Amino acid sequence: MSDDTPTPRRIGVFICHCGGNISDYVDVEQVRQAVAGEAEVVTAKTTMFACSDAAQQEMTEAITQDNLDGIVVASCSPKLHLFTFRAMADRAGLNPYRYVQANIREQCSWAHRGEMPAATAKATAIVRAAVARAEASEPLATMRIETQPRALVLGAGVAGLRAALALADMGLTVTIAERAQRPGGWAATFGRTFARDRSGAEMVEELLRRVHEHEHITLFTGAELIEKSGSVGDFTAVLRVANGDTVTLNVGAIVVATGFQDYQPTVGEFGWGLPDVVTLPQYKRMLDAGQGLHRADGRPVKTVTFLYCVGSRQGEEVERPNRYCSRYCCTAACHAGIVSAEQAPGLHQVHLFRDMRTYGKYELLYEEAQRAGAVFLRWDPEEPPVVASDAGGLTVRVKDRLLGGEELEIPTDLLVLVTGMVPRENATLLNALKLPLGGDGFFNEIHPKLRPVETVANGVFIAGTAQGPKTIAESVASSLAAVSKTAALLLKGYVDLEPFVAEVDEERCTWCGKCLDACPYKAIEKVAVAGKEVARIIPALCKGCGGCALPCAENAIDVKGYTDEQVLGMIDALLEEAAE
Amino acid sequence: MATRVNLDLHDELKAFGGKDLDLCYNCGTCTAVCSLADEGSAFPRRIMHLIQVGATERLKHSVEPWLCYYCGDCSAQCPRGANPGEAMMATRRHLISRYDWTGLSRRLYLSNAWNITAVLLVMLSVVGLFAFLHGPVVLDHVALNTFAPVHWIELGDLVMGGVLSFFLLTNAARMATWILGDVGMPAIPISAFVRAIPEFVVNFATQKRWRRCGTAQGEAKQNRRWLTHLILVSGYLTMFVLIVFFLKWFQTDAVYPIYNPQRWIGYYAAAALLYGTVVFAIGRWRKRDEIDKFSAGTDWMFLILLFLTTLTGLLVNFFRLAGWPLATYSVYVLHLAIDAAWLIVQVPFGKWSHFLYRPFALYLVKVRELAEKAAAADAEEAPAAA
Ligand SMILES: Cc1cc2nc3c(=O)[nH]c(=O)nc-3n(C[C@H](O)[C@H](O)[C@H](O)COP(=O)(O)OP(=O)(O)OC[C@H]3O[C@@H](n4cnc5c(N)ncnc54)[C@H](O)[C@@H]3O)c2cc1C
Ligand code: SF4
Ligand code: SF4
Repeated sequence: MSDDTPTPRRIGVFICHCGGNISDYVDVEQVRQAVAGEAEVVTAKTTMFACSDAAQQEMTEAITQDNLDGIVVASCSPKLHLFTFRAMADRAGLNPYRYVQANIREQCSWAHRGEMPAATAKATAIVRAAVARAEASEPLATMRIETQPRALVLGAGVAGLRAALALADMGLTVTIAERAQRPGGWAATFGRTFARDRSGAEMVEELLRRVHEHEHITLFTGAELIEKSGSVGDFTAVLRVANGDTVTLNVGAIVVATGFQDYQPTVGEFGWGLPDVVTLPQYKRMLDAGQGLHRADGRPVKTVTFLYCVGSRQGEEVERPNRYCSRYCCTAACHAGIVSAEQAPGLHQVHLFRDMRTYGKYELLYEEAQRAGAVFLRWDPEEPPVVASDAGGLTVRVKDRLLGGEELEIPTDLLVLVTGMVPRENATLLNALKLPLGGDGFFNEIHPKLRPVETVANGVFIAGTAQGPKTIAESVASSLAAVSKTAALLLKGYVDLEPFVAEVDEERCTWCGKCLDACPYKAIEKVAVAGKEVARIIPALCKGCGGCALPCAENAIDVKGYTDEQVLGMIDALLEEAAE
Repeated sequence: MATRVNLDLHDELKAFGGKDLDLCYNCGTCTAVCSLADEGSAFPRRIMHLIQVGATERLKHSVEPWLCYYCGDCSAQCPRGANPGEAMMATRRHLISRYDWTGLSRRLYLSNAWNITAVLLVMLSVVGLFAFLHGPVVLDHVALNTFAPVHWIELGDLVMGGVLSFFLLTNAARMATWILGDVGMPAIPISAFVRAIPEFVVNFATQKRWRRCGTAQGEAKQNRRWLTHLILVSGYLTMFVLIVFFLKWFQTDAVYPIYNPQRWIGYYAAAALLYGTVVFAIGRWRKRDEIDKFSAGTDWMFLILLFLTTLTGLLVNFFRLAGWPLATYSVYVLHLAIDAAWLIVQVPFGKWSHFLYRPFALYLVKVRELAEKAAAADAEEAPAAA
């Protein structure tokens, strides 16, 4: 929105050295001098570390002493310190939305090392644009929304079940939607599991018993999320349930715990398709069945060979490689080796691994497998093992690096492909959630270290293997992390939202209805104001995408914080720089 | 040429004593700390690996086990507790049993029952032979050469020596063809076999390679062990020469004065044998050093029988000097029985054979080295000629 303030704005600019990260490649003093001359810039300073306590103190003092009504900090990416400096502005009594961050590190100094004059010119342009944006900034206030004390958990594997129980124990009402007919996910199908040999099936049974007993939990099986609307704290979720009916829920948050799928080898990949070649999940079922190990022709298995890293850590040899390590499989294969040795004493085992990743205390299982007589042999991805089958049975040929690349020929009765984890097929869900996926196809967190279970969609959290390969313990840990984020959100009772939403100039609006069609979030309604029909934005639903502003012929819609005046002012500032 | 793995091999080696070898994860620490391993022979890791992957043929062709003198540095440093030193020992036992074409060695190594039965059988046979074939028993003075005429004993010696040598040498011949028949071996000129002979003689007599083994534990300690062994060997060889070449002079009813070599050479040999066997037995009993931590039944059998042979030999001498005819004759029979048992069970089929195999292995390494040099020289000449 345009601002009719007749008095000129008072802008302060602070340019950060970032201890050399910026100043080694950008002449910060020159940038300072360039912007100091701008009409509405009252003060322009450089600082060694803008984020340091001392520098923040200096900036708050400048805000009060110079009576600033807008500031620019030219430093790193706003991803890092936007909130730091907003808080600083707030402390100094300046509306935090009148603060603008100019990124001259990631977008300038780091990208243009050894090109000081050009980098300095670019930094100047970026800072001038930020000043232009600050000049047109308005004070804004966050929007407070009441949250619903209810959560929706998608998926009833260990991650989902554990999350539901913990949320319900905190007094929240929980609905679980499980797509399959049978709840429990993978773990429900397992007998003995590492690390403590507990039965997966029994573990899930126990969780399910508690879920069924819990008065605050409802479990739908054969159910899928088909639609989601609303915003954090107040979503409307539509489920399609087993009999084809739909159920509509009003929930404050959604936990996505939809798990993984096992990698399916392609025919011919390490002998897949030949008799007596199985995947680890299949082998585990053979062990769990406890009927002894038999070849396809009924003969007992005397030698079993495990081939690790199938479908994980792939390279260019496949079209869309899974580059990641599936984490669970080295340990699961060692554990299967130990169980096999117990069930079939005297069984010969060869484990063809790439790198042994029985991390942490799982290392002990590796040792135990060795003690049980498993032979471990490393294979090289440059020269992968070759599997062949003839009348006598299977043979695996592998180059032995420790024997100078000599080829070893391993006759084997059974070959177990130690397959990795891949994302579950989940088109309907993706469509309903509109969540972006990571490069590996799993759901993506905002920050792998600091915000591991939050997604870009506020109020939607991820848990367990839906996010990427994990063991049961890790799945549960991540699910409890999602629980704590969910509870922190819902138990407070309200949530403050960023004020960057669209706004309609009711005088200009003629109600053509184009914006209504353009909004993907159903955030626009028609209202009558003084006998005139106009569009109105429902702030709680608006995501500030700006989709409605574009088709508006009357130019009646602006997005707060990114008004036309601000954006055009930035463009002008950049062009001015380019013209110089 | 692909190596077909034999997954029974590691179980087999475990039976021969390498019980922890499954734990090896091939880090190579053992090879790094081994003071005998060099570029040409990266043991013990290579041997551990051959066993694990079941490279039976490769193991059969390996000379490395004979180049290890078991200081145990590798076992002490192994991060997995896989006891590579003991695995090398087990491999030597395994190899001895494979060189032996009769299959007897394998049974003796793998079963204490076989071992004890074999020893008792030989002893009983000797006693039995004497029961029927001994000469007149003179009771008023000691007349050992009447009871057991020395030319008969000498003949027995020779027959037994011939038979045992036959087995031992045929086994050694298999060893040589296997080691020299390993892949990548150049053609071996006859001259190499001849020129390598000094290597055999020196190592046979001195075990000098041993002195480079285990320097990490302190040279003094390793030297002491080597010296003890050398004393034992010197005693053994002296006794061997006395009995095989000078029996007529050695086994006599005449009493020589104490300064006569017949007396003190014999005493030296006996003392050296007693000292060596007792020191080694105490070591094995205490298990302080890596090398002493694990003892197979055959290891004990070796020491005990050798000790008893020496002890009974000494007793025969003392009873003779004391003039006790019956004691002399009966202990003499016992002495021969134990000696024969020790020799028959240990020489071609057991631990004794390392006496030959160790220097012989070094001889074969030398032969190979000379052959490789010759081949390299040929290769250099060939293009020059072309
Ligand atoms: C062969 C094998 C052996 C293993 N052994 C062990 C072991 O011994 N110890 C160990 O710690 N870990 C082991 N793991 C790993 C373990 O299976 C996982 O860590 C664990 O099952 C992950 O649980 P989860 O809830 O994240 O996912 P899952 O078990 O996959 O559960 C996800 C659930 O979500 C449901 N779902 C999917 N999409 C939707 C949707 N759109 N809407 C609703 N519901 C949906 C699925 O039907 C499923 O029930 C093993 C894995 C394999 C493959
Ligand atoms: S856990 Fe082991 S088998 Fe699985 S992908 Fe990683 S390295 Fe490969
Ligand atoms: S024996 Fe021990 S030290 Fe040697 S390679 Fe194996 S693990 Fe390493």
